[in-house]
Amino acid sequence: MIQATPIEESAIEFSGYANANGSVGVRTHLLILNLTGLTEMAARRASAVLPGSVLVSFPYGMGMVGDDLAASVRLLSGLARHPNAGAIVLVSADRTRLDQISAALADDGRPNQAFCLDAVGHDALALSHRIASAGARLMRVASASRRKPFASGSLCLGVECGLSDPTSGIAANRLIGAVTDRVLAAGGTVILGETLEWLGVEDELTVRAMKPEVAKAIKEAVTRREALALDNGVDLTGINPNRRNIEEGLSTIEEKASGAIAKSGTAPIEGVLAHGEAPSGPGLWLMDQPSYSPESLTGFAAAGAQLALFSTGSGNSYTSALMPTIKITANSETAQSLGTQIDFDCSALMSGADLNTAAAELMEHISSVASGMLTFGEILGEGAEVFSRFGEAL
Amino acid sequence: MTVRALCLAPGDDVAILLTAVAAGERVHLSGGDGHLMSRTEIPRNHKIALRDLPNGALVQRDGLIIGQSTEVIARGSHVHVHNLRSLRARPANEATK
Repeated sequence: MIQATPIEESAIEFSGYANANGSVGVRTHLLILNLTGLTEMAARRASAVLPGSVLVSFPYGMGMVGDDLAASVRLLSGLARHPNAGAIVLVSADRTRLDQISAALADDGRPNQAFCLDAVGHDALALSHRIASAGARLMRVASASRRKPFASGSLCLGVECGLSDPTSGIAANRLIGAVTDRVLAAGGTVILGETLEWLGVEDELTVRAMKPEVAKAIKEAVTRREALALDNGVDLTGINPNRRNIEEGLSTIEEKASGAIAKSGTAPIEGVLAHGEAPSGPGLWLMDQPSYSPESLTGFAAAGAQLALFSTGSGNSYTSALMPTIKITANSETAQSLGTQIDFDCSALMSGADLNTAAAELMEHISSVASGMLTFGEILGEGAEVFSRFGEAL
Repeated sequence: MTVRALCLAPGDDVAILLTAVAAGERVHLSGGDGHLMSRTEIPRNHKIALRDLPNGALVQRDGLIIGQSTEVIARGSHVHVHNLRSLRARPANEATK
């Protein structure tokens, strides 16, 4: 049994999996990673006969170029190496792509197998059979891994918000920020993304940059994202904040952003990552990426985050397939009405409850989930991964 | 029932209502014994103006400028998208005066 952690002590323990590649997992999934749209249904059939397997499917093909291609390969390679996979099956209609992503697993050490459609004479049903047959064996091996204790410094968290309302910025995101500070103090890693939600608060972020280049990268990321809206004649009001955010009381992107960055706590910022790029060391990292939660979470997963902390105001059912996603709300009505969605109710903060006490409780909850306690998203099978595209294909 | 509003930072132009109010209700402000009267109906978690704001005023919430007023806003009024707009992603010809 994990003891309640005194507020002063940042290092909670959890029981995780020591992967052969040196990473620490909080789950030991069989990951079926499909690399081409053509083979998606074959991979999906195989996944359906292997309950508990996690299917992550890339729905596009081979015509990508430039930054779009680089981002796709980065995302797929990162997901293939995800710490919560105990074994990995790669599936592809294209041998070049299969070889490219297999390379990411060359020195990995975890059981893995790669399947190409041409090896079964382009028979998709035969491909499903091969994947399911190999997957069954790999899943059995993965499930034999035993958990062992780790300190919270072994955690990499992605911090996210979705369908925010004013309680998110005032309470839930501040609580996530307090937990971020604790995990970082223990030597862990935290990633904050959703670049659009740095608009209007970039000065709050740049003053925390470790180096001038980092401050410059933050500014450039914000300018690029703002130019994307301007160049396309987009009025952010109604998009971010969206209609639901506005109904709940958020008026402008600046207001939403000031609440969103509270998730990052107070630590210095190590650097700005590309979408899906793994941090080069522990600490607090920003990820320059789209602000839509499904895309954003997949960026964190590809970067190697084992868990996501996800605050919501009105409720948001989406979770990552690979990272257990802890749903947190400070809206008492949402906590009551969404009893099988909200994992952690911190609405007492809105009526003056102590932030440090709540942070210690959330740390303990994180420890439980990292040690195997299921999130509602896992229980209900809400998880998915979504791939961003950054340009036209050939 | 006491209506309360959260003042997030000193010098803010708006506070956050913890319960919905009708026009003409007495609203107690957190962090002291200050109060004001609501001038309009305001939903829960929405913003109430703590002072009279001229048209074009930069509006501060939690110590940060969150946008600019688009009309005169009287103390006690609802502050939201009908009278406040973002300063960001605005074409140069309609940016801050």
